[in-house]
Amino acid sequence: MTNQPQPEVSPPPERLLTGARVQVDDLHWRPYGRTHPVLDQLSLTIEPGERVLLAGPSGSGKSTLLRGIAGLLLTADSGELSGEVTVDGEPPQRSPGSVGLVLQDPGAGVVASTIGRDVAFGLENTSLPREQMGHAVRAALDEVGLTMTTDSSPQTLSGGESQRLALAGALVMQPRVLLLDEPTAMLDAVNARSVREVVADVCERRGLTLVVVEHRLTGWVDHVDRLVVLDRTGAIVADGPPAAILAERGDDLAAQGIWVPGRPEPEPLVVELTPVSGGASGVLDPGDAVVRARAVTVEHAGSRLGSTVRATVAVRDSDLDVRAGEVVALVGPSGAGKSSFMAAVGGLVAPSSGSVEFAGRLTPAEPAARIAPAEPATHREIDNVAGMHHARLSITRCVARLGVGRGAGRQTPADEPKVAPPADWRSHEIARVVAWVPQRAATSLIGHTVRDDILLTPRALGQGDTASGRRADELLGALGLAHLAGVDPRQLSGGEQRRLALASAMVHSPALLLADEPTVGQDRLTWSAVSGLIDAARREGAGVVVTTHDEGVVEHADRTVALTRPERSEQQPEPERRSLAARAGPLALLAAALCVLPLPALLDTWRQGLVVLSVEVLLGLVGLIAVGTGRRPRGRMRSLARRLAPAGLAVVGVAWSSWLLGGRDLEIASGAALRVMCLVVPSAFVVGFIDPEPLGDHLAQRLRLPARPVVAATAALQRLQSFDTLWKELMTTRRVRGIRADRGLLARGREAVVVTGGLLVGALGQAAVLSLAMDARGFAEARRRSWAGPAPWRLPDTLVLLAGLLIVVSGVVARLLVG
Amino acid sequence: MKNITASGPLRRWRTIDLLTCAFLGAAFGIAYWAWGLIYKAPSEVISAGFPPLGALFSWPWLVAGIVGMLVIRRPGAALFTEVLASVVSMLVGTQWGATTLVSGIVQGLGVELGFALFGYLSFRWVPLFVAGFLGGAFEAVYEWYSYWSDWGFGYRIAYLFLLGGSVAIFGSLLAVGLTRALASAGALNPFPPGQEVRERQAV
Repeated sequence: MTNQPQPEVSPPPERLLTGARVQVDDLHWRPYGRTHPVLDQLSLTIEPGERVLLAGPSGSGKSTLLRGIAGLLLTADSGELSGEVTVDGEPPQRSPGSVGLVLQDPGAGVVASTIGRDVAFGLENTSLPREQMGHAVRAALDEVGLTMTTDSSPQTLSGGESQRLALAGALVMQPRVLLLDEPTAMLDAVNARSVREVVADVCERRGLTLVVVEHRLTGWVDHVDRLVVLDRTGAIVADGPPAAILAERGDDLAAQGIWVPGRPEPEPLVVELTPVSGGASGVLDPGDAVVRARAVTVEHAGSRLGSTVRATVAVRDSDLDVRAGEVVALVGPSGAGKSSFMAAVGGLVAPSSGSVEFAGRLTPAEPAARIAPAEPATHREIDNVAGMHHARLSITRCVARLGVGRGAGRQTPADEPKVAPPADWRSHEIARVVAWVPQRAATSLIGHTVRDDILLTPRALGQGDTASGRRADELLGALGLAHLAGVDPRQLSGGEQRRLALASAMVHSPALLLADEPTVGQDRLTWSAVSGLIDAARREGAGVVVTTHDEGVVEHADRTVALTRPERSEQQPEPERRSLAARAGPLALLAAALCVLPLPALLDTWRQGLVVLSVEVLLGLVGLIAVGTGRRPRGRMRSLARRLAPAGLAVVGVAWSSWLLGGRDLEIASGAALRVMCLVVPSAFVVGFIDPEPLGDHLAQRLRLPARPVVAATAALQRLQSFDTLWKELMTTRRVRGIRADRGLLARGREAVVVTGGLLVGALGQAAVLSLAMDARGFAEARRRSWAGPAPWRLPDTLVLLAGLLIVVSGVVARLLVG
Repeated sequence: MKNITASGPLRRWRTIDLLTCAFLGAAFGIAYWAWGLIYKAPSEVISAGFPPLGALFSWPWLVAGIVGMLVIRRPGAALFTEVLASVVSMLVGTQWGATTLVSGIVQGLGVELGFALFGYLSFRWVPLFVAGFLGGAFEAVYEWYSYWSDWGFGYRIAYLFLLGGSVAIFGSLLAVGLTRALASAGALNPFPPGQEVRERQAV
């Protein structure tokens, strides 16, 4: 986007060289709980406009140094900090946004529901008037090459686009130093290149001081003028022009694990593992199909705060055969549905349609007892090919969704064993056959020590402890984790956790190994170990599926399957008409629903209650009427019924206790019931129309609630969806590792408590990363801020509020006129 | 054991304090919503003979505020967490609709008052019991008005003490257990409970 016109916002000529000088003096940082400092008396000077690539093996403190330069070490952690960091002689956070920081995980720092609002976050924190935001936001988006409209949702962006969005959020604040923490680690080659080019271009034009952390040097060395290398202790071991350093120290750096350009790719480590008796990987002959997936479609029903939004298709009509003893690399741009497809192939999720069949010798012995009795066969649909029950399981969408009548819609001859789809297998059944390494490895770690975690599945499957123990030690040794065997796995670094997750997945010798981006964040040495283990699994006869962006992994795979992003019908034929309630703001809706509060004091008899309830229902129905042009909105009544259903429970409870108390008098009981209904019915009409973001805007601007808590609350509400995802991931992990509670109320209750704990830990982790991202954009001191979203009060708001008051009036009138 | 308070001036919330409260509140909001779906049946059974016994199934609604305060240890933490939990469960869809928010405010204020009585300086069992009891009592008084207007004085008092007592005992125990579990999982490192874990391990 070099030829992008940049009228008002481009810096004036005299400010073209806006890079600042970064001075780090004797920086020392030891997080509490660590015996050794991560940074020990580190000193570094970076000249204005200098572009620095910061490299080092994993765990060397690169990211920590970056946070130190941004002045954010104490934002999300606590520890001993000494030394000094200055940016042009000032503390880095003195002027908000002068040091921009972009984090590794694209999307981890998103704070808003639209990309325009997200970019404007930093401007809000500096109290820029709203009228001046639009232009700056558009210019920043253009500068990073995001051409979509500002009201697009960040969730529709690809990984590379998300990363550019984060960059725009930093650039809009006119930073003088730009800090990027492995900005391309999670991106495919094409996206990574586009991000690098945008960064190089912006730094060139603005003359920014740049520090990039990356352990894959290829691609970046051409864009920087200085290479700084840290060793494992966090000390600077090399500093100078990249070409010179690589020429002199290239071999040395490669030996330390750094990805030095021009070196031969590392080879997979040869790992010998003790075979497990009873493992599923040796059951089939090499080349036999482990699993066949046909016409698999996976949909994600996007639900937002209880109201279901249209489902998006993650994978459409995809086929895959995985054979014993082969590695299949699943490639494609981010958003192509690689992870979703892999999960469906492994029976971790039920596909919306299509079939997934495992080889007959791998399917559980008697799953048929659990599934609904099949109807008598009308025609044979099962043929036996190469030991494979080729059952057509047409799991229709409605069956999968309702979770009942599993097995219906397929015919099974009496002499063939009935085969349940793998998504229905019990925990120990799926665990024996399938193993899964999720992308977020931290969610898959369950044991209290590293060794316990590895032995979890063998123990759940009843595999001999001695052989498993030996195998576990071999895996830990190969992965360089042997010295950590007794440590709590949550204390490990991200790269170590990922390696542990792989070891824990393959220790029991599964027939199908699914690994989601297993090599992300690994240095040359650990990369060899990870691909060595994948090789070992293949040699044992497992079918292996890896999703990857890593060309080295693709090269060592037997087969590559490319997925493309399924077409998504973005176009809405015609916008829906909006109902009256939908036109009102959140504050008016909330106020109207709370107008019921005086009613318990007003209503005495069931007749009065009935009058007020009728008024409420009438007003509510009027509020749902959609006028104007456009399509008829759908699902209004369904959503109303869903919200009224729980209220029924409350009514029954109160009526019951009043009936017991009031001498079993039906009038008293119904009076109590109607009074409760009057309290809760208006909410059922309006709550579904309250959106978190506008609610935050109104609470802060109209009610003048303190700005920072309101922003924090809104940010948390935006992420409710991710809690749901995390919950499912934790449950899937337990299932595929063989410890999911399949039955028993007590066991399930205990599991719910454990998983809730995991959910809380995950939520707090998100809060920590988000606070870093927000403070990097000037939120720490934003006690007064401006708001990109308006909080208007319009005619519908007044009408809704009047309707609420009318309910109170009807209560007064009923009390006065009705007995 | 040393009683650790939050770092810096108590009233000066860091960003991570705010976000942790908010995320805890949101997670509890989902849990509240789920509890709202399952608690009704056992609650009806136990309260069939003596309605105030329903309190024995209502104490979980106050755990969010107590956990929020135990983690953050700043004025307002209980109110913020509890209100957010109530807002989330309201938006997802509870049986009480918008009045859930009122309950959240009332409960949060009760718990908050308990810790304020001790100047936000102690977070051991005594302030916990007091805060839990006050939270339960505040909620009971709100429910007298909104739901139990037919009840006589005896039932009301019994309900108040049952709810206050069960929040003080069960609520405090659950909140302390959760906070300790989170702290030992390393999720509370930037907060006082995380520091307490480190002090315990220190030699």
